[in-house]
Amino acid sequence: MTILQALDVTKNYRIGNRDITVLDRVSLDVKEGEFLVVKGESGSGKSTLLTLLSGLDRPDQGRVFIEGRDITDLTEDALAPLRNSTFGFVFQSFHLVPSLTALENVSFPAELRQDRTARAKAEALLERVGLAHRMASFPHQLSGGEKQRCAICRALINEPRIIFADEPTGNLDSVNGSAILQLLLELQRERGTTLLLVTHSPEIAQSADRVVTLKDGRVVTDAAHG
Amino acid sequence: MVNLRFIARQMTGAKRQCAVFILCVALSMITLVSLGSFRESVESSLLRDAQSLHGADIIVRSHAPLPSSIEQEIAALVHNGQAKSARFWDFYSVVQKVTGEGSLLCDLKVVEPGYPFYGRVLLGSGKALTEVLRPGSVVVEQQLLDRLRLRLGDPLKVGNATLVVRDVVLQEPDRPVNFFSLGPRVFVAAADKDALGLIGLGSRVEHVTLLKLAHKGDLDAIAARLSSVSDETRVRVATYKNAGSRVKRFFDNLLFFLNLSGIFTLLLSGFGIQSTLFALLKEQERTIAVLKALGAKSRFIIGHFLTVTLVLGAIGTLVGLTGSFALQHFLPSLFSGLIPAQVTLQISFSAIWQGVLIGLLVVLLFTALPLYRLKEVKPRAIFGKEEAARIWSRSTWVIAGVGALFFLSMVLIRLRDLKTGLYFVLALVGLILVSYLLASVVLWLLRKSSPKNLALRQALKGLFRPHNASLSIIVTLSAALGVIFSLTLVEKNLDASFIESFPPGAPNVFLIDIQPDQKEGVARLLGPGATYYPIVKGTVSAVNEKPINPEQERKSRGDNLGREMNLTYRNDLLTDERVVTGGTLFRKDWGDTLQVSVLDTVLKMHDMKVGDSITFKIQGVPMTARIASIRTRTSSGFTPFFYFVFPPEAIAGAPHTIFAAVRVDKNRISPLQNQVVAQFPNISVIDLTETVVIFGRIMAKLSTIVRFFTSFSIAAGVLIVVSSVFATRYARIQEAVYFTILGARRRFVLAVFAAENLLLGLVSGAIALLMSQVASLLICRKGLDMEYLPYPADSLLLLAATTLLVVLVGMAVTLPLLRQKPVTFLREQSDE
Amino acid sequence: MRNLFTIFTLAICAMTGAGPAFAAGADKPASNGTIVAFGDSLTAGYGVPESEAYPAQLQRKLHQAGYQWTVINAGISGETSTGALARVEWVMKLKPDIVILETGANDGLRGQDPVLAYRNIDKIVATLQSKGVVVVLAGMRMLKNLGPAYTTKFAAIYPRVAKERKVILVPFFLEKVAGKEGLNLSDGVHPTGKGYAIVTETVYPYLVKAIKQKGGA
Repeated sequence: MTILQALDVTKNYRIGNRDITVLDRVSLDVKEGEFLVVKGESGSGKSTLLTLLSGLDRPDQGRVFIEGRDITDLTEDALAPLRNSTFGFVFQSFHLVPSLTALENVSFPAELRQDRTARAKAEALLERVGLAHRMASFPHQLSGGEKQRCAICRALINEPRIIFADEPTGNLDSVNGSAILQLLLELQRERGTTLLLVTHSPEIAQSADRVVTLKDGRVVTDAAHG
Repeated sequence: MVNLRFIARQMTGAKRQCAVFILCVALSMITLVSLGSFRESVESSLLRDAQSLHGADIIVRSHAPLPSSIEQEIAALVHNGQAKSARFWDFYSVVQKVTGEGSLLCDLKVVEPGYPFYGRVLLGSGKALTEVLRPGSVVVEQQLLDRLRLRLGDPLKVGNATLVVRDVVLQEPDRPVNFFSLGPRVFVAAADKDALGLIGLGSRVEHVTLLKLAHKGDLDAIAARLSSVSDETRVRVATYKNAGSRVKRFFDNLLFFLNLSGIFTLLLSGFGIQSTLFALLKEQERTIAVLKALGAKSRFIIGHFLTVTLVLGAIGTLVGLTGSFALQHFLPSLFSGLIPAQVTLQISFSAIWQGVLIGLLVVLLFTALPLYRLKEVKPRAIFGKEEAARIWSRSTWVIAGVGALFFLSMVLIRLRDLKTGLYFVLALVGLILVSYLLASVVLWLLRKSSPKNLALRQALKGLFRPHNASLSIIVTLSAALGVIFSLTLVEKNLDASFIESFPPGAPNVFLIDIQPDQKEGVARLLGPGATYYPIVKGTVSAVNEKPINPEQERKSRGDNLGREMNLTYRNDLLTDERVVTGGTLFRKDWGDTLQVSVLDTVLKMHDMKVGDSITFKIQGVPMTARIASIRTRTSSGFTPFFYFVFPPEAIAGAPHTIFAAVRVDKNRISPLQNQVVAQFPNISVIDLTETVVIFGRIMAKLSTIVRFFTSFSIAAGVLIVVSSVFATRYARIQEAVYFTILGARRRFVLAVFAAENLLLGLVSGAIALLMSQVASLLICRKGLDMEYLPYPADSLLLLAATTLLVVLVGMAVTLPLLRQKPVTFLREQSDE
Repeated sequence: MRNLFTIFTLAICAMTGAGPAFAAGADKPASNGTIVAFGDSLTAGYGVPESEAYPAQLQRKLHQAGYQWTVINAGISGETSTGALARVEWVMKLKPDIVILETGANDGLRGQDPVLAYRNIDKIVATLQSKGVVVVLAGMRMLKNLGPAYTTKFAAIYPRVAKERKVILVPFFLEKVAGKEGLNLSDGVHPTGKGYAIVTETVYPYLVKAIKQKGGA
C-alpha cells in the first residue's frame, strides 16, 4: 500500500538574484514498510526532497500525499499531529533539545500527546539501545553516537508509520555509523516502519530495499536492491 | 589593517543588537549632555540669581552705622573705581495717614540710588525705581493702600516727613521668597533720610552697604579685607556667593538628586551596552573561532570588534546629541516658573565635550569585558563545543574594579561629597549582591519544582538550559528594576507628603496672641476652617533632675532648650503627627503623674526617652512631667508643630494665648487684617500667602523634574530588558523549531516561551519589588524623615508592567520565526 | 523643608521677642515680703543667665542693704500688655506685696495702638491695687524708628497711668542703658548683664519707696 506519494514536486531557491531549481518535477511512491534510500551527491536535492516529503517544507509545484491525504497545503498546526504521531525524524545534526536530558528528550513527543506511559516507554527504548546509564545526561554530555541513538529513540516513541532520516550517520565515525544503521534497520524490521533515508554513501544504500538516485534535482534511477 | 567590509557585515548581520547598543549609548549621551547643560544653566543663573537676590556683589550689614575703619575702606574702593557703593536702611516704623485717622506698622527701606545693583524692583507702573523714587516720594506695597484706604498720589506721614505715595511695588529682588514681615514694604529715597528723623540713637535699624565690583575676580580678596578691618560681632560682611540664599540651597539639593539619577542612568546604559555586546559577540562566536583556527591573533580580532563598537558608539553619540538638542525645546516648558525667567536653557559646549568624553569612557569600560573575553574563544567552538563562561575570572575583577572606581570618581566630581559617593557605590554593590542572593534562591526553588503542565515544565527547563544566563539576566534585571521601582516609590511618597504639606486648603494666615476671651470673636471673623492651638509659655529648667544651662544650650547650632517654649495642651494628635514611641499620646496607667509628649526633634537637642522627667517653669511655677510618648511630624509644610504637648487638665489653668491658622483668599487678607486690628488690636496677623503658594508651586515642579530625569533611567531599564531577552533568543528559537518538528502546535510553543519570559519577568520584578520596598522605606523614614506608604496597588502595577514588557519583548522576538517553515532554521543550522 | 519651618517659627518667636526664660530662684527663704517683677523679656532677662536679670540683681542688692525681701521673676518674653492683663490672677497667686510692672514694649514693637496698652496697664494697676498691692510702674519708651507721633503717644502712657492711679513711676526703665552699644545684646534692644546692673540701680530707689509705703523693713 502506498503510504507516501510525491507528484511532480518542484522546489526553487533564490540565492542572491539567481533562481536555482533544486528539485525538478520529482515523483515518488513509497510503499508501507519499505526501506527506501534517496541517494545523491551533495547539491543533488536529496535533503530537500526529504523535507518536502515530510512536510517540513512546501514545494513550489506538485503535491505530496500521506496515506492518500494531500498534505501540500496544510498549515503548520494541521501538520502537527502528523509530525507527532505519524512521522519520526532523525537528523544528521541530531537536533536534540539541549535543555532536556536524554530521557526527557525521548519522552517529549509522547508527553505532547499526553501519553501517561511516556516515561516508561522512553526508559524501555533507551535501555533497548544501550543508553540506560545515560538517561539523565544532557545532550552536550553525550557522544555523537549516543546522541543519535537517543534521537532514534525519540523518533520511535510514538510508534510512527514513517521515519525520515537525513544523513543520520553523517556526523559519526564509521564504527558508530554502522552501529546506528544496524539499529535503524533492526527497529524498522521489528515494527514494520517505513524508513526513508537520505545519504550520499553508496555503502548505506546497499542495505536498502530500494534506492532512488537524484542528480541535479531529478530522479535518475529508481531501482530495487537486493 | 582593518577590514572595513568585515566590520560592516558584522553590523548589518546583527541589526537589532546594534540598534540596542546605539540606543544605550545615545541614552547615556542625552543624560550626560542634557543634565550637564541643565546644571550649568542653573548654576550660572543661580549665581546671577544670587547676585540679584542680594542686589550686590558684597553686602555689609550692621545694627549701627559702620565704624569708620570700614567706612574708609569702602570710600577708598569707590575712589579707586574698584567698586560702586549704595546704602540702604531697613527698619519698622508706624506711618500715618495725613487726612483722617489711620496708622500702620510698616517695613521701611530707605535706599540710595544704585540700589539694587542687580535684579529689578518691579513697580506697578513698570518704571524703574530710580525714576519714581524722587525725594519726597514713597513707593509702597498694595497692602498699605488697602489697609489705610489710600490711593496713589495721597500723602503719607513717615516719621517727621510727609511724603507722597507715587507707585506700588510688586516684587523686590532681594526679599527672599519665603520672608515674611509684620507690615507692608515702604520705599523711601535716601535723600529724605534725615527729614524722617527716624534713624539714630535709640533706633533699631539694619544698616546695609551694597558694593558692586568692577572686577569680579577681586570679590573674595576685597570681602576678606573688609572683614579684617571690622569687628565681626557688630559688622557682617558677606558676598553673594556665601550669603546663603535659600533658593540656592534648594537648587543644590535638586541638582544633587538629579546628578545621582543621571549617574545611575549612565550605569544602566553601560550595562545595556555590555549585555548587547556580549550577545552580539556570542552570535559571532563561530566566526571568531574559525578566524582563530585560520591563525588570526586575538589582538587582531579584538581590534576589529573594538572598531565595531567604536563605530556604533560614534553613531550612538550622534543620535544622543541630536536627541539632546531636540530635548532643549521641551525643557524650558518643563522648568518654567522654577527657574528665573532670565535663564535661557541651552546646550553648553562644555557639557557636550564632557558628555562625549564620559560617554567614550563608559563605552570603553563596559565593552572591555566582552571584548577581553574574545581571547577565551577557542577554535574548537567551531564544533559547537561551548565553553561554560567563567564569570569570576581575574579579568572580570579587574574590569569591575576599574568600573567601580570610575563611577565613584564620577559621583565625587559631580557631588563633591565623599560620604555620599561611597554610600552610592556601596548601595549599588549591596543591591547587586542582594539580587544575586535572592535570584539564586528563587532559581534553586524553581529547579526543584516540577509542575504538571508540560508547557510550564518545559519553560522551567528552558530557564536551566546548559550554559544558560538566567541567573545573570535576573540579577541585572532585578538590580536595574529595583532602583527604578525605588525611585518610583520614593517619588510617590514625596508627592503625597507634599500634597499633604500644601493641600489646597493649607493655612496661609497665622494669628498670634489671641486672648482666650477673644477666641469667640476671632472665630466669628475667621469662620469655620480655622484651627486653634492654645499656647502656654514656659521654659525647660531641668531634665531628669539635672538643670539646664541656658548659656550652654544657646551655643548649639540648631534649636535648643535654652529658650522660651510654646507649650500646648490637647488630648489627641494633630493630623500630621504620629506617635513613634510610647504607644499612645498619654498613658492611662500612670495615675496622677503629670505627663508630657515630646516631639522627636527635641531628642536632637537633649537626650531623653519615655519615662524620663522634664522640669518646666511655667510662669514662675515649676512643674515636673514624665515623658509619656515621643511624636514625629509626618508633613513638611507650614503647619504648626509643638515640641511639648500636655494633657488639658494639666495646664489649662495657666494663662495662655491662642494661635490660629486659617486659609484666606488672597483678596480677603487685607480686609481681614483691618477687621482683626480694629476689634482685637493685640492680635498680630501674619500673611504667608506668597510663601505657601510659591513653595507649593516649586515642589510640584520639583517632582515633575525628578520624574523627567528618572524616566531616562526607565528607558535604560527597558533597553536592558530588550537586550537580555534578545541575547537568549537563539536557544529559544532552536527549541521552538524542534518542538514544531516533533509535532507541537503553535499554541504550545507560544505557551512555553510566554511562560519562560513570564517567569523571568515575574521573578526579576518580584525581587526588584521586594528590594525596592525595603530601600524606599529606609530612604523615606531615615533619609527624608517622612511617612512611608507601600502603595500596594502601584507596586503590583509596576510588577505587572515589567512582566508584561519582558513577555512582549520575548514574544516579539520569537513570533516572526514561528511563521517560517521549520526547515529554514534547520537549513541555517546545518549549513556552515 | 523642616528647617525652613523651624527658622520661620524661630523668626516669629524672635519677632515676638521670645527668648530664653529661666528657672527662677531657689526656695523662698524666710523673708519680710514678696516682690514680683511682672513683665516681659526685659524682666525675664532674655539672652542673659537668670542670675544677671534685673530681678535677681535687685534681690541681691536688697539683701545687701538689709531688706530681706524676695524678688520673684515673673517675666515672659514676647508678652504684650494684653497678655500681662490676662495673667494678673496667676501672678496674684504668688501673694505679692509689691509688684514692679514692666510691660508694653512688645505692643510697641508690633506697632499696636498705644491706647490699647494704656487701657491694659490701667486695668492691671487697678486690679493689683484693689488687692492691696503696691505697684511700681516702669516707664517705657519706644524705638525711635517707629516715628515721633507714635513714640510720643507711647511714652505718654506711663506718666498718665501713674498720675491717674497714683502709683510710683520709674520714669524710664532703660535709663542710661537704651541704645548704648556696650550695654546691650547685638539685637540692640535687650540689655546685657551689665546693662541690667544699671537698670537695677535705676529701679532700686523706687522700690525702697514702695517698701516703705508697704510699711516693711
